[in-house]
Amino acid sequence: MARESVDVLIVGAGAAGAALAWSLAETRMRIVCLEQGGWMDPSRYPTTRPDWEIQSFGEFGLSPNGRGRREDYPVNDEDSPIKISNFNAVGGGTILYAAHFPRLHPSDFRVHSLDGVGDDWPLDYDTLAPYYDQNAEMMGVAGLAGDPAYPPKRPTLPPVPLGRLGETLAKGFDALGWHWWPSDSAIATREHAGRAPCINLGPCITGCAQGAKGSTDVTYWPAAVRAGVELRTHCRVREVTLGANGLVDGAIYIDAEGREQRQRAEIVVIACNGVGTPRLLLNSASRQFPDGLANRSGLVGRNLMFHPYAMVTGYFPERLEGYKGPMGCSLICQEFYETDRSRGFVRGYSFEMLRGMGPVSTALQAWSGGRLPWGPTHHEAYEALWDRSAGMVAICEDLPEEHNRVTLDPRLEDADGIPAPKIHYQLSENSQSMLDHAVARGKQVLEAAGAKETLAVAPLPPAGWHLMGTARMGTDPQRSVVNEWGRSHDVKNLFIVDGSVFVTSGGVNPTNTIQALALYVADRIKRNLATLFD
Amino acid sequence: MSEVADPLSAVLDTLIPPSTDGRLPGAGELGLAAALRERTAELGALIDQGLAAADAAAAERGADRFAALPAEQRVSVLREVESRQPAFLPSLLFELYAAYYRDPRVLTGLGLEARPPHPQGYALEPGDLGALERVRARGRLYREV
Repeated sequence: MARESVDVLIVGAGAAGAALAWSLAETRMRIVCLEQGGWMDPSRYPTTRPDWEIQSFGEFGLSPNGRGRREDYPVNDEDSPIKISNFNAVGGGTILYAAHFPRLHPSDFRVHSLDGVGDDWPLDYDTLAPYYDQNAEMMGVAGLAGDPAYPPKRPTLPPVPLGRLGETLAKGFDALGWHWWPSDSAIATREHAGRAPCINLGPCITGCAQGAKGSTDVTYWPAAVRAGVELRTHCRVREVTLGANGLVDGAIYIDAEGREQRQRAEIVVIACNGVGTPRLLLNSASRQFPDGLANRSGLVGRNLMFHPYAMVTGYFPERLEGYKGPMGCSLICQEFYETDRSRGFVRGYSFEMLRGMGPVSTALQAWSGGRLPWGPTHHEAYEALWDRSAGMVAICEDLPEEHNRVTLDPRLEDADGIPAPKIHYQLSENSQSMLDHAVARGKQVLEAAGAKETLAVAPLPPAGWHLMGTARMGTDPQRSVVNEWGRSHDVKNLFIVDGSVFVTSGGVNPTNTIQALALYVADRIKRNLATLFD
Repeated sequence: MSEVADPLSAVLDTLIPPSTDGRLPGAGELGLAAALRERTAELGALIDQGLAAADAAAAERGADRFAALPAEQRVSVLREVESRQPAFLPSLLFELYAAYYRDPRVLTGLGLEARPPHPQGYALEPGDLGALERVRARGRLYREV
């Protein structure tokens, strides 16, 4: 069934699609967004239930392969030491993210000029800065002004509380003279834009029942829908279609009732994340684009970057109240962010502190690590662990390498029979050196904070939640998929606005930058409407 | 069959006995046996096989069933079963820990309120940010471009 043509068709209602939809809404263009998931019901999130901890092993797990939700598509990540974590719903990955909201550094946009690796971005920090500011207002960013690791920026809300755990860890950083700062977090620490303030529930990564976390189902989407954007849920796009004039003319999708539908559009924007976007482009091959839509460069799906994570956990003699407070957000350390070649690698990483765990997670993690015996010594062992652990992760910059890529799996399909993605990824020598450095420094700071014992895991297998680089931006059509404002080099009415367009990964969580880029692209579309396809 | 009479309860009490200070109950006291048996058909079958093996090992020690053994012998019998039937205890322990550590009596014993986090949430101190003056004093840390 063909529907009336619209001006803009957005595929994907996650972090980027939401921001772009909201920004474009003021043009009064007819905008439709197709999302394969549905609206989430925060009153049914795990923290409202006594079995809240165990839910993270099932329906609210990180891996799309283990959740058993029809909205998800499977991902073959057997050939990668880092596994894909995502979510498909209105809000996308922001439903489950920890809401860390750091910006990239100015140097991140110039890695080739500064360090001779990767490529420079076709834009710079100052270009994105106003869009970071705009995004902070819309998402509600808690933090503290004055961080010397960044050019001046002003968060919109007071910082997330450190609590006893954060204070304990801060003492470790102080003892070593290292940088630390309260994390920028997309968490409403006081009432903001109709959102209730954070009440320190703990596990932000199974959805925020309070609505304090800035997931786009409670930030951009209500505003975008009020402004006239039509959001169609449970609609899975199979293919973006090409018209006779060499421009895309819409998409074919499967609707909530399982019927094939066709939506025509003047402009198509893909916002399906660093795996979903190349999957859709590769699934949209045609006679004109036999290797995938907008893929004359051959780079669609290539240069996949994660952030290899090192997780270091310390066990302290005193209780830390670590089960209270936003689990991922207390403080950040960027002592090792900028390049120092004496460390044995280029580029760098951030440390982000984690809170502790609840009683069930404490038991299951300790047991799976062989640290919790059953029998007469069980309680003594548990007592030494319960509420006495504090963790931290190092988010290591991953450099682009063409052999790390997303392809279509020859056999795997989603519930609608659409070919699923396959991940090919190897950890680079530079990333491994960075992980080794981070583990050593992580242990050092936890011990300085008073930890009696430390454990490390690197790379952290489930940490494939930052998906970048697979449709990179640039000014050279031979070396990039989209131009400096997200428009395909090959198809002039096709845009991409998610982590796919990242040229390099930086060493911080990407959501803030993904959204700032989406707002920037939307602004360029608005400014250039008259000459958009030239 | 009542929970008290379920032979699985004796196994649960051996895996997680009451704490010596009396704060935490033994797992067998919590009435978890029926729910664990019904968790999945696979686990139910493993429990049946494990209990049969435990009773057989008890018989070798002169008891008519596992639950009739004194506490110290129950531990050694379960160790024996653990090595003979390697799938039994891991499957049971995962579900047992998930059930035990969310039981209201256990949460209270750990010093927690027996409730999910929402809607009450938790109060949390903002923490001392005074030490940041030292960090500020270092000046610009980001790289000029």
